[in-house]
Amino acid sequence: MAISYWRRRDRYYRLLGNKCTNCSSEYYPPVYICRRCGSESLVDVEMPKTGQIVTYTVLREVMAGFEGQQPLVLGIIRLDNGVKVLGQIVDTPPEALKIGSRVKMVFRKIREEGEAGQIYYGYKFTILQGKTTF
Amino acid sequence: MSRVIVASVGYTKVGDHWDKSILDLAVEASKKALKPHPNIKPDTIIVGNMFSSQSARQEHLGALLASALNLVGTPAFKVEAACASGGVAFNVGYHLVRSGEAASVLVVGVEKMRDLDVAETSLALTMAESAEYTQFIGATFLSLNAMLARLYQETYNVTRDELSAFPVIAHQNAATAEHAQFRKAISVEDVSRSPLVSDPLRLLDCAPIGDGAAAVLLTSDKLVEEDDEVEVLSSKISTNVFSLYERDDMLTFSATKEAARKAFSEAGIGVEDVDVLEIHDAFSVTAALSVEAMGFSKPGEGAKDASAGVYSLKGRYPALTFGGLKGRGNPAGATGLYQIAELWLQLKGRGGLNQVEDCRIGLAQNIGGVDTTSVVTVLARR
Amino acid sequence: MKMPKDVAIAGYGVYIPRYRLPAAEVSRIWRAGEEAPPTKKAVAALDEDSTTMAVEAARKAVEMAEAKELGAVFVGTESKPYAVKPTSVIVAQALAQHKVLASDLEFACKAGTEALQLIIALIGSGMIESGLAIGVDTAQGRPGDELEFTAGSAAAAYVLSKRNSKSIAIVEGASSYVSDTTDFWRRGGQKYPRHLSRFTGEPAYFHHIQSAVKNLFDEYGYKPSDFKYAIFHQPNPRFPVEVALRLGFKFEQIKPALVNPYIGNPYAANSLLGLALLLEEAAPNELLLVCSFGSGAGSDALSIRVLDGIVEKVSKVGNRVKDMLRDAVDLDYATYAKFRGKILI
Repeated sequence: MAISYWRRRDRYYRLLGNKCTNCSSEYYPPVYICRRCGSESLVDVEMPKTGQIVTYTVLREVMAGFEGQQPLVLGIIRLDNGVKVLGQIVDTPPEALKIGSRVKMVFRKIREEGEAGQIYYGYKFTILQGKTTF
Repeated sequence: MSRVIVASVGYTKVGDHWDKSILDLAVEASKKALKPHPNIKPDTIIVGNMFSSQSARQEHLGALLASALNLVGTPAFKVEAACASGGVAFNVGYHLVRSGEAASVLVVGVEKMRDLDVAETSLALTMAESAEYTQFIGATFLSLNAMLARLYQETYNVTRDELSAFPVIAHQNAATAEHAQFRKAISVEDVSRSPLVSDPLRLLDCAPIGDGAAAVLLTSDKLVEEDDEVEVLSSKISTNVFSLYERDDMLTFSATKEAARKAFSEAGIGVEDVDVLEIHDAFSVTAALSVEAMGFSKPGEGAKDASAGVYSLKGRYPALTFGGLKGRGNPAGATGLYQIAELWLQLKGRGGLNQVEDCRIGLAQNIGGVDTTSVVTVLARR
Repeated sequence: MKMPKDVAIAGYGVYIPRYRLPAAEVSRIWRAGEEAPPTKKAVAALDEDSTTMAVEAARKAVEMAEAKELGAVFVGTESKPYAVKPTSVIVAQALAQHKVLASDLEFACKAGTEALQLIIALIGSGMIESGLAIGVDTAQGRPGDELEFTAGSAAAAYVLSKRNSKSIAIVEGASSYVSDTTDFWRRGGQKYPRHLSRFTGEPAYFHHIQSAVKNLFDEYGYKPSDFKYAIFHQPNPRFPVEVALRLGFKFEQIKPALVNPYIGNPYAANSLLGLALLLEEAAPNELLLVCSFGSGAGSDALSIRVLDGIVEKVSKVGNRVKDMLRDAVDLDYATYAKFRGKILI
């Protein structure tokens, strides 16, 4: 896990996806071949950090490694460039958790390998409420 | 090209088999399938399984089973496609016989889920989805289906009770199915009262964790001669954009749609010709989206049609006739073979209390991930 | 100290977690519910730590500064998630910066102002063009101890670069004063710090701040009325007010930056966060005094001249520090204990 995490940390820290230089389609997670036009000419590009909730759920049964983090709020977010990403939604009052709510990306801990292992960081989302961003 | 017959089937009950290992279960189902044809030694053994490496620290299941069945020397291998492992294993076996490469193939699906705790099983099942982007952030397979369910309800105005229709049908039929994991009917109120596991999905929206194995002996029509033979008319696989959220249209099960289109085309039938359905009701919403993708219901109407009785045992398209994944159970890699075995029972008239009258054509749809792999198989009684 | 004249603050960013623990909750559990002041402290969520908060603050600072490259990243903190592995490296990675001198500093609550001065020195010496200084902590108070009422979490980040027309402010003068005074400390491997109660007052806080400020005034010829605003380290609501009055400041001068009652004491972020509050109030050409105090002990007294660039930069800030103070959700003690890893598992 430590090494596969290290390999992708830029993707996790900066929401770094890629973009087809031929047809301008953008992707997160990044692709090997453009799904729209088939081109292999792709460049890394950061996704926009804001978007809106397409759908969400509050997960009460977490998987191994996430013990103590339930319930986990998860959502599929359509970023401002149209790309949909999966992420946790944190620090959000229940009444603000709805389809269409605007969210922004935040940098948070994903999990730790116990007390002595590594800490894994990555992106999550939180609600944008008027001027207030948490 | 040979015609391919489902010569016999064998399966264990689905449940918590604390005292049986993955090999114990596979051997049990295999012996039951081989017993009616003691003179047939399969030319190939194929094992469908999703996560034996997690649950048993065991791979190499093909050779393991061949050796255990004292069929040393038999070509054998494992096929994996998440929860579609069973259906895809069947598909490969079918093509081996059809091509003439093998005269008989034993296809066995098996999964041991109970040896892991719930959190570990959840992780194992989520291997059907991206390790780097789905598992990494803590989203489980359940949570993805829950998000899909919310989207489905919002988009098509599907009520809680309508969504509950498929689980109710499943349990209704499982109550009288001997090999089913749950032998108790439930009501829509029961579904609504069951605890939320990942809203909007409740406990009774979701197929359970369980152990089991199901085996099918496929032969060419020259090897087995009998009345009422069950023939495989077609079996087709398709795949989708890998993760649910990477798709433009999350509500269309396009892998199922394409696999079904190819399967209907090759079998020379249409939706209206299907008499009995075994669909992939891992969650209430997946059952609805599956029937919609195959054309049995219009988009957005799968759950509503189920609620109206279309998919009940006495309905227009009887589905989940022995309980489906929800009632009979879902030992991941074995499910696809349970579906085939159940269609065989129906087509042979051995459905007992669950018999669908006058069924001649049956369809099985088995998916891996959230319709990431779909395999659709059409069987017919000749 | 002689400060370079061509190095200035290009941008800043503050991050305060959303959650608050009212003093009344600490009192409910540990003081039999006896009357507690209506104060609160900011509490980092379960998935936050010094690194995550540092990244959030840094991103804001970098955006405001429009910084494309950084030559150094220094993080001042006493709550590093890794005892060995710098938080600054993770911040650098998150900012896609690699050609950086990166390190973490520790000097209790003054590590933030130290980081600031070191970055200024690196730029002023010509070694780098611009750099990032951060003060951040998820301060830990021993359960039941008086510090638990105030030990809070926040991050404040500053990007410094060569002075130009967009610069926000310049550190005009600086003077540090240290002595071996062990008022508050934490031994390696220990989860919580310890302190000597009343001794943290006169011999520690007051002596070091007063000494550093006096030295600064002596060196530069300042007097209190030269400063529009001032802020001193805020370990509790009373000390900064007391030391300000002793040093000859008026209450109006320190009022805008008094935040301890709302967010507690975010240790290494304390003085840098106070500075941000003042920057959001001040006008070009005004002089600000910031004096930190770190236990152990020492103080950094800084005089900061506000520049023209402040108007435009601050006008673009979506969420000012004083707005962040009140955008909060109260926690009960049990949830706070869960968030801060105080429950034995």
